[in-house]
Amino acid sequence: MSVDAAAFQTFREKAGQLRTSAVPAAVPSDVRVDRAKTVFKRRLDAGQATYLETCIHCGMCAEACHFYEATGHGRYTPIYKVDLLRRYYRRELAPMGWLRRLVMRDITAKDLEDWQELVYDSCTQCGRCDMICPMGIHISPMIGIMREALAEAGLQPIEQRALAKEINEQGTLLGIGPGTYQAVAAELRGRGVEVPLDKPRADVMVLMNAMDAAVFKDAIAATARIMNRLGLDWTIRTGAGDAAAFDWTSGDERTHARMTRRIIEDAAAAGAKTVIVPECGHGYAALRWGGANVYGQPLPFEVMAISEFVGREVQAGRLKVKKVAASRSVTYHDPCKVGRWSGVLDEPRQALAAIGIEVREMESHAKTNYCCGGGGGVFLNERAAKLRQGAFRIKMKEADATGAASVVTACGHCRMTFMAGAQQANWPTPIESLVELVAENLAE
Amino acid sequence: MTLLEFARGPGLQGALLIFSLGVAWRLVGTFLLARNRDLAQPKGTSTVKAGVRAMIIRSIPPHELEKRITFQHITGYAWHLGFFAVLLFFGPHVPFFKQFLGFGWPYLPNTAVMVLGAFTLAILVALLVRRMLHPVLKQISTFDDYLSVVLVILPLLTGFLSYSHVQPLDVRYEVLLAVHLLSVEALLVWFPFGKLMHLFYAFPSRYQVGAAMQRKGVQA
Repeated sequence: MSVDAAAFQTFREKAGQLRTSAVPAAVPSDVRVDRAKTVFKRRLDAGQATYLETCIHCGMCAEACHFYEATGHGRYTPIYKVDLLRRYYRRELAPMGWLRRLVMRDITAKDLEDWQELVYDSCTQCGRCDMICPMGIHISPMIGIMREALAEAGLQPIEQRALAKEINEQGTLLGIGPGTYQAVAAELRGRGVEVPLDKPRADVMVLMNAMDAAVFKDAIAATARIMNRLGLDWTIRTGAGDAAAFDWTSGDERTHARMTRRIIEDAAAAGAKTVIVPECGHGYAALRWGGANVYGQPLPFEVMAISEFVGREVQAGRLKVKKVAASRSVTYHDPCKVGRWSGVLDEPRQALAAIGIEVREMESHAKTNYCCGGGGGVFLNERAAKLRQGAFRIKMKEADATGAASVVTACGHCRMTFMAGAQQANWPTPIESLVELVAENLAE
Repeated sequence: MTLLEFARGPGLQGALLIFSLGVAWRLVGTFLLARNRDLAQPKGTSTVKAGVRAMIIRSIPPHELEKRITFQHITGYAWHLGFFAVLLFFGPHVPFFKQFLGFGWPYLPNTAVMVLGAFTLAILVALLVRRMLHPVLKQISTFDDYLSVVLVILPLLTGFLSYSHVQPLDVRYEVLLAVHLLSVEALLVWFPFGKLMHLFYAFPSRYQVGAAMQRKGVQA
């Protein structure tokens, strides 16, 4: 298992250049407010209303938030991050709104600008706060509504804006697109790994993402080796686009819906029964839980994360693995969108156990896992660098306490955050990919 | 009409009317809003069971979360229990309820209630001070948060004064009792407008999160 350090640096530099290439949205203040309120009105329903009505401002959600824990700033209290949504609801939609309008002021463009940092920089939508609220408030989906409102008002982070422009105008992500996928497949073929590209029909469609194509090619190779070993009728279709769903993390619903439809229609055209999302937390959650809602009907195929698929195949005995040569221990970092958001908690651990690796759990693991600090697009957000590193240090401390020799995860985005964080903190612990570990230990 | 007669008669009736209508208006208004359909294929299907489970176990977070909220968690539940124990099991309160409901129930010794009440009052005052000083609570607190806690403190405080016949500023017992009743009425009047409504929303909210997370295969 290896990571192309030069490719990682190039990817980071390209991401860093997004700030300079983007053009801020020129949206008049009143239009910003109208657009944000339109999103609030469309997205609020009885479920959200119940959550917003029940908050007692106890502040316990802050104690689950790594950004609050790292800084001690009350502003980073999760429920406060959705305060504009709450204020809109209470003033304009709530049963007592007619009365509150007499004393509550309306939200302003300045409020929307002030909330950018709270919604995009100091929240990874990890959902840890959802696990602590004594009232049972599901906060992380409301952050999604806030992001959609701010994106609609033209206030998403400038990097995300630049990415959306590139996706919409050039069909690539940081310059990575169908051409890159073909080059990667050719390279892997040269290494003896067959990657069937663009088969017109296949039972299983595996998605690609830019991070893997640029930095984690071994993860693609590992996925291909597992698919080939299982003898599946599978393909990667270059026209399906990128699985990473950066548009979903920024709240750019239009771009996200277009990209998601593209994946769904492509998979449907190929007659795929299963779509496998690579090690990409956001990509998985966006398609698994948001895909059908974009499509307007249940998806005509099953969506699985690669870690979920591998764990299932190992458990079922279809994927034969061998034990690792030397005994070793790792700690497993649950990518929030795959774990807490999507219930893929046991499968990765089962896969690691099957190859004879001891998993030493962090104190906060599985459904109470701490985010790496870079989820929800925060990794790309240069403005959030300091906050991100503060959150990463909490993760680092928990991983260190396990005494494990390395950290394994199943998300390229988490891997990059770990690598960047470790580089900055001079942290020597390696970060590994689950799918690569399993592929390295396939039975002969 | 004396102040006590007002508090026992039209004051109480008016407060109960505002409370009942307000609570009904707010609950109906919330629950009648449309619900967005989720078309994603769920992972876990026993959503009702998971929802009911979350209504109960949400009170006991996992250790790694609980360790950062222990003080607030324990004091929060303690004052709720103390408040309802004083409300429902104080000797003089039971006949008051009996005249409306037609039946009564056993009650606690007055001394025990006094101790519970003092304990509850102390926690509430401590939590109010904490709200004014803690960086998170200072940031997120609104007028409703302060008013609600003051309106919960007042019936306890005036109850103490009237039961123990303490007469600050030489106020007569009847006046103290009237003030106690009026403080309860103020609480009832404010109830439907502020966060005290969590009494009715908390369990539906817990149910929702339990069911929503179960759909995704996670126990909330």
